[in-house]
Amino acid sequence: MSEDRNQQQEGRQLFCRVITPEQVIFDGEVDMVVARIADGDIGVLVDHQPVVSTVEIGAVRINQDDERHVYATSDGFFKVSENLVQILVEEAVTPGEIDVDAAESRVEQAENELSEVSDEDEDSDRQQKEIERRRTIGENLVRVAREYGEG
Amino acid sequence: MASAQDLKRQIQSLDNTSKMTQALQTISGIKLRKAENQLNKARPYADNVDEMMRDIANRAQSGSPLLVGREINRVAICTVTSDRGLAGGFNAQLLKRTMQLRGEQDAETVHVVTGRKAEAFFRFRGIGYEEAFTGFSDSPSYKDAQRVGRYLTRLFEDEEADEVYLIYNRYQSALVQRPVVTRLLPVAPEDNGEDDGGNEEGGQNIPLEFIPGPEVLLQRLVPRYVETLLFRAFLESAAGEHGARMTAMKSASDSANEMSEDLTRQMNRMRQAQITQEILEIVGGAEALAG
Repeated sequence: MSEDRNQQQEGRQLFCRVITPEQVIFDGEVDMVVARIADGDIGVLVDHQPVVSTVEIGAVRINQDDERHVYATSDGFFKVSENLVQILVEEAVTPGEIDVDAAESRVEQAENELSEVSDEDEDSDRQQKEIERRRTIGENLVRVAREYGEG
Repeated sequence: MASAQDLKRQIQSLDNTSKMTQALQTISGIKLRKAENQLNKARPYADNVDEMMRDIANRAQSGSPLLVGREINRVAICTVTSDRGLAGGFNAQLLKRTMQLRGEQDAETVHVVTGRKAEAFFRFRGIGYEEAFTGFSDSPSYKDAQRVGRYLTRLFEDEEADEVYLIYNRYQSALVQRPVVTRLLPVAPEDNGEDDGGNEEGGQNIPLEFIPGPEVLLQRLVPRYVETLLFRAFLESAAGEHGARMTAMKSASDSANEMSEDLTRQMNRMRQAQITQEILEIVGGAEALAG
């Protein structure tokens, strides 16, 4: 495999696609992709070994020439193969698009709902997990907006 | 025999009907284009989830019930129809297929329905259903698919159903929508892989690393996979609904126009006969006077 790689190293490029169920958010040639996968942050450069994993709620950073694209994402899936990074998530928004107030009220609402889940409900575990997930997504949006937005 | 007055009234009413159906046809045409667009935009995600499912399913050695299934005592059937009618045989053909599928099962069947048409159908027939999801057939969002997906996955996980089938109208063109049945759970990714078998062979040569193991990934992917299949089904069904309505409205307008033309012709003939009659009477009267 390494021979094969050396032969083709010239002109090799890394591509990245960020895809949500409703549309393709990002699609292009990139220099580097950083994302948080199941076992921690991963940085992908050209000719990365093929990996299939999950994406955790967090931020995906993409370096493209001099630009840096950041997306706050929900959890989802991650695949690198043949110099194509695919990030499949339910939500991906740029820090500029994040409505901090809305995100904060999402967190608040989730917290209210959490306190209402009764232990007697046979489904409470599942409900709780689902609400916690929503809270984490909201918190992540706020965090990404603060960290990367505006300034 | 109808008087000229009656005919006139009928023609007026037909013209009004045709105006309405034409308007609906135009609106459906616009909605159809929107739905087609949505369907195209959703394709990359769906294709990738599909591929990932195949990658993982090939590698997961486990006899996970999500993949392999278990003894079948109860089968859940999820029928995707529209909320509104005026779409020709769009819902009827689907509901017929659902009843056929129900009849084919050896096991007990439970039903889950989406769209008011299916809800009304089951209620009218007195067949019980577990849950009805309505209000989004016109332009579904992923959130809707998520809601239904969660419900169906839970049915399977809680062993309230040992197999889950999805039945919906696949969109082929504005004229053609075909009811299709797919098994949602246990997952059967090989069914979808037939058309790009060549691609799959190429994929197997790459040693993919799975973090964490394929089994854990599978657990997380399956609910998403179900949601994705549902979302695609909803979008196809929405496009189909608008297409079917457009076609139905076009033929309604055409036949209204045709009837109106017939009646107009009939009315003209009648008026002509009356005029001829009057002339004859006048001529007859004049001759009598002259004689």
